Amino acid sequence: MKVILHDLGPEYHALIESKCNHALVADGRYAPCQGCFGCWTKHPAACFMKDKLQQVCRIIGQADEIEIVTKNLYGEYSTAVKNVLDRSIGTSTPLSTYRGRQMHHTLRYGKHDMWRVVVYGETSEAERETFRYLAERNAINDGFARSEVVFISSLTELEELL
Amino acid sequence: MKTVFINGSPKKRLSASSYFLFLQRLFVGGEKVSETLRTPADHGRILAQLDDAQAVVFCLPLYVDAVPSHVLRFMEEMQAYCTQRGLHLAVYCIANNGFIEGRQNEPLMQVFEHFCTRSGLTWGGGVGIGGGVMLNVTRILFVVDIALLVVNTVLSVARTGSLFSPDAWVSFGTNAALLLYFNLGVLFYLARMGSAIRKGAPCGKKYTRILIPSFVFILFADIFFVIISLFQGGLFRGWLAKKAYEER
Repeated sequence: MKVILHDLGPEYHALIESKCNHALVADGRYAPCQGCFGCWTKHPAACFMKDKLQQVCRIIGQADEIEIVTKNLYGEYSTAVKNVLDRSIGTSTPLSTYRGRQMHHTLRYGKHDMWRVVVYGETSEAERETFRYLAERNAINDGFARSEVVFISSLTELEELL
Repeated sequence: MKTVFINGSPKKRLSASSYFLFLQRLFVGGEKVSETLRTPADHGRILAQLDDAQAVVFCLPLYVDAVPSHVLRFMEEMQAYCTQRGLHLAVYCIANNGFIEGRQNEPLMQVFEHFCTRSGLTWGGGVGIGGGVMLNVTRILFVVDIALLVVNTVLSVARTGSLFSPDAWVSFGTNAALLLYFNLGVLFYLARMGSAIRKGAPCGKKYTRILIPSFVFILFADIFFVIISLFQGGLFRGWLAKKAYEER
């Protein structure tokens, strides 16, 4: 299953939906994660906040491939996209293991294939380096075998990239 | 000199970030202001504190390998605010994560560096702390340790009439020394960064952790989550199951 998470406006929704099995729109209108760990300890793989992100980890968790289309913000995802990712930690379990020679949580949904990020907006070379590093870390943390980051200068490039 | 400490944890109380913020304040002189950053309603109040400040210390948890979204939202506003007013503060950062390796905070530190570059602020450096949750538990254990000392002293008065109970003090001292040992790396690097803040100097990025072996840490972390999940009921609701998405 291919999932696309993006922070694009409604004019791109049809294009995105035609390129994946499940589209997640980060519109910046969701509450941020409260750090309660309830999605591990109280109601596994579900958030206590009953909005559209309540079960977002179940969608991301079942993706073989995830593509994240995001505006650059200091070498990190946009606030709206990061909000969705922060609310998705139920993809893992509270138990710990070693992965990539570091401590991580065990995976609720097993291993995945590709964590791909498409970054738009002005991005410095130093921010690009951080983005590549961050995507690599995310891939290890969430059990994806590969990561890739693509930087685009215009959203017109999007159609052939996805 | 005025330093603004920003607690970026979304938790209302007893967050690990508030513990490290408390420790960092011990090593910084001059005027100190502490603010909590949980919702956009906090932004205006915190930004107003920056006008006459020389340094800002962000104290926050690592979320999905980087800065939590509610802090990112504030940073965007802070960039606009500082640029508009020509503020050139020094920015320091204390990041903590639940995993034992403090180095897992590296992407977050880099994001703060880029934030400073874009905002015309001076990146002062930071301390990345591994095992933040467990270090936070040590402060609770220290309070329990003090309570036990008080109880044992009261019992000693009742039994022997003496205020001084050697056994109680030995037990208290041993436990306190052990808790202090766990925190030594954090205390060293926060003291070092405190010195840099006082001088307005950069201190670079340093990473530290709770001072216990990794495999012991993982064992305790697993036990911690089993107990919490037992009490909160998650253990009986498909704790490790591959939950399917339910259309609503």
